This record gives sequence, structure tokens and C-alpha cells, in this order.
Amino acid sequence: MVILGIESSCDETAAAVVDGDRTIRAQVVLSQLEEHRPYGGIVPEIAARAHLDHADRLVAQAMDRAGLEFADLDGIAATAGPGLIGGVMVGATLGKAIALAAGKPFIAVNHLEGHALTARLTDDLDFPYLLLLVSGGHCQILAVLGVGSYRRLGATVDDAAGEAFDKVAKMLGLGYPGGPLVEAAAAKGDPGRFTLPRPMKGRPGCDFSFSGLKNAVRLLVEDLPHPVSDRDAADIAAAFQAAVTDSIADRVTHAVRRFRADWPAGRALVTAGGVAANGALRAALTGLAEKEGLDFVAPPLGLCTDNAAMIAWAGVERLRLGLTDTLDFAPRPRWPLDPGARKLGGAGIKA
Amino acid sequence: MLVLALDSATAACSVALWENGVLHAHRLAVMARGQAEALIPMVETVMKRAGLGFADLDLIATTVGPGTFTGIRIGLAAVRGLALATGLPIAGVTTTEAVAAAIPEAERHGRAVLVALDSKRDDPWAQAFAADLTPLSPPAALTPLAVAALASGPAIVAGDAADRILPLMNDAVAAATPGHPDAAVVAALGARHWRNGTALPPHPLYLRPADVTLPAAPFP
Repeated sequence: MVILGIESSCDETAAAVVDGDRTIRAQVVLSQLEEHRPYGGIVPEIAARAHLDHADRLVAQAMDRAGLEFADLDGIAATAGPGLIGGVMVGATLGKAIALAAGKPFIAVNHLEGHALTARLTDDLDFPYLLLLVSGGHCQILAVLGVGSYRRLGATVDDAAGEAFDKVAKMLGLGYPGGPLVEAAAAKGDPGRFTLPRPMKGRPGCDFSFSGLKNAVRLLVEDLPHPVSDRDAADIAAAFQAAVTDSIADRVTHAVRRFRADWPAGRALVTAGGVAANGALRAALTGLAEKEGLDFVAPPLGLCTDNAAMIAWAGVERLRLGLTDTLDFAPRPRWPLDPGARKLGGAGIKA
Repeated sequence: MLVLALDSATAACSVALWENGVLHAHRLAVMARGQAEALIPMVETVMKRAGLGFADLDLIATTVGPGTFTGIRIGLAAVRGLALATGLPIAGVTTTEAVAAAIPEAERHGRAVLVALDSKRDDPWAQAFAADLTPLSPPAALTPLAVAALASGPAIVAGDAADRILPLMNDAVAAATPGHPDAAVVAALGARHWRNGTALPPHPLYLRPADVTLPAAPFP
């Protein structure tokens, strides 16, 4: 089984070809970082325009690198949500058009399911497992029970973790995107010089909150001389990263205990999403998993951030189960993996 | 020449299968939104109705704008996907020309053709043509007064923003044709432009940059 995957839900345009033997035959990712950098964040209309400009060329490139014709494919999978709807519509429409013209099944993939199933592509993991999904747009903990079967154990009640990184980077004058820049600054900083709150730490449940921490950083920065010195920026970045890591580790510890109680067959803690690229967070999660007796699975960085291999792989998983979609599938700006989970505010509403 | 034409750039969605003046199959629905759901199934229906396969086609025609940004992108993503999978060429035409060309020749006779399309802003998308559809101005966002001034003599006004232009003109009549493009017309125009080497590439004609402002410094 060979599937073409298309991703266009945020600021990366990507295409990939993946087969049922877990081999990525080809994958290309085009980041729109430079288009959005002047604005200090992702501008949806700019993103949508860039997706249209490049998506078909990237698909052609991926097919070419895989050495395949469309007739060789078993299906076309495209992200159909959740995300910035203008971009999602471009990728989904492109995928539908190729599927129709090539006479192949179309698979509308939930972008979050792409992230959630990546550990099965990279590590051949069995269900169930515990997933921490942390990115610029999402922050949640899920029990992954099967294809299309998820229980959300916790999610952010306000900002996504990656959003907080971006905003703190902006306040510190570090630039965009915030994740890698805050991490680089933090590496040179003293996490002990400033004290920041650990949001939600010690509270029951597994929900996250980052807006109070973001405001604490804002107050701290306002009291400092401007422009913020490299020293101050590094120390605040280090304090912020430590606070985020502590907070996430606390929430995940709660989730691990609940997961083990409810799904004792589960053996692994998996992470995904752009923030999972953060070294301090990875180190904390590695230690946590070891302490709790779970395997820690973190896909390679290029498969943690947005990519199309995960969309193609989700297509493989879904097509194996006969789960295809009709060409009138409506792209969804919001698309929770666990529709039964209670409604939350902030980034939680999207997923 | 067998042409598959698509349009979803304004407040409608249509697909046509056309061959040298004969319409083999055609679907059109007026819709402000929903083209991302409707367009590709419409292509499927039209191909089935005509009993033809993609291998039988010679050309894909499409509108490129101006119109709604999302609608333009849905149409272009669709034709680019179809072209990629079939190897067919794409001929682009403007929405303004498609709306103008829908007006019967007899009604255009002796009049300039003004097309004004809703842009969701104060200034409609507009373009002026001679009676024989030779463009007199490029497509642009213009104030209704500026649109009216594009014609000095008698005119016929078309498009879903025509109502905003007509009261400003002395010698103008309203076109009886629809205010949105129709893929049946897009197919004929696309075929002609393709033969003449004047077809547009499948690139969006937004006519307006993305609506964003550079952020202020986080702290003054």
C-alpha cells in the first residue's frame, strides 16, 4: 500500500509518499517562516496564499523522488482540519482533485491524528499509548486507543505551549518563531535568577494553562531596562523554559497515573508537535517516563513538527480499515480527536 | 477541443464540459460559501454525465480572479490538482471577462461593457471592455464613481455589484445575464485564449495584498 499525503494546515506546506511497510518513500516540507517573520506570528491569509503557490509543485516533487506515478498510489490523504481553514482548503482541494483524476480513494485526515499516529510509523508501537501533543496551536494529553479512537485526558484552558514560547520570544525581542529562539537563549541563561509560577502544578487533573505564566513574564520584562539586555533575556528565557517544563511534567505525571489505571496494557509515553523538539522538555519527559516505568517515544524532530509523512501514514492506517472519505468532505477549522471531551476555552477549543 | 472548465471565484460554483461550442454537461450553483465541498463533486458529476474520462480532455480552463480570495484558491487548487494528475494544460481567464462574455453580442452592440463584482469592500472589482470585449482597462478595485467613469458613452453594466454603478451613470443599462461567472463561458473563453496564446497562467489574481499590518514594537 502506497499513499500520498498533503499537509497545509498551518505554516508548512508539505507532501510525502509513505507505504504500508512504514517506509517514507519521499517527503518534502516547505516552511513559510520567512513570509511570516516580519509579523511576529502566522498571518492566515499569507499562509493560505503560500500554500496555493507551492503545494502542487511539492506534490510533484515528492512523487518524482519516490519514482512513482499517480496510478501507482493506493490513495491520496490530505489534512482536512483542524487548522487555518484557508490553507486547509487548498491542500484538501488539491488532494481531492488528484484523487478524482487518478481514480484513487480520498482520505480526509485529521492533522492531530497524523501527529498521534506518527509513533506507529517510526516505532511500530501498539495501541494503547499515552500521547502528549504540544505545538503552537495545540496542547493536550490523549490516550491513543486505536485509529480514530482517542480519550482526551487534559488540554490547555487558554494558550497552547508553543503560543506562549512565541509571545515570550516577542517580549524578549528574540524574534520569531519563539520555540528554538527561547531555547537557544535559555541555554545561556540562569534559570534561578527570576522566579516564575508553575501554572496548574499540584492541581488535580491534567489540564494546562500558560496565559498566567506569559503575563508573569510580561510583568517581569516591563520592570527591566529597555531594550532588554542579552543577559536579562537569557535568564528570563531560562526561567520561563524551566517553568513550562515543570508545569508540563506535573500535568503529564497526573496523566500517566490515570492512563495506567484505566489502560493497564499501555506501555509508552509518546510526544509530538513542534514544542516536543525542545531539549529541556524532552529531558524532563525522558526522566518522567523512566520513573513511571513507561517507554518514552519521541519521533525524530522532522516528524514532530508539521509534515506530510504523518498525513500519508494516517492515510495508510485509515485505508487499511476501509476508512475513506467522499469528495464533498468539508474542511474543518475545529476537529477534536475526542469529540466526547468537555469543551475548554483557548487553544483547547480547536482540538 | 474538449475543455473542462471550473469556476468558484465569486458567489457561485460551476463546472462545464464543452467542445467547440457544444456543452456536453454543466452544473452551476449560486453559493456564497461551500465551494470547497461542492466543486470537486461537481467535476465528478459533469464527467460522469458526459460519459467521458479525463484522458479524453484537451484543456482545463479556470477563472483566476478577481473574486473572493478563498474561492479563487479553491478553484486554482482544484485545477492544479487535476492538471498534475492528468498532464493537461490550464488556461486561465479573468472573472470580469467571463461575466462580460456572457452578455449576448446583440445586447453589447454599440455599448461599452462594464463589469463590477462584489469585493466585500467599498471598492468593487471592475473592468471595462469595448462592445467586442477588447479590454479598455485592467481589472482593478475602483470606487463606484471611478467604475462609472470608465465608460464615456453608452454602456451595459454586469456583475453582482452592478447595482452600485448603474445609478451613477446616464446612458447605461443593466445586463440581464448572471452577476457571476459561469464555467460554460469560461470554457469557451479558455479555449479561445489557449488557441491565441493569450491564456493566463493558473496564478491567483488577488489584486489586493493580504490585509495585515506590521506589529508595533512590544514595548515602547
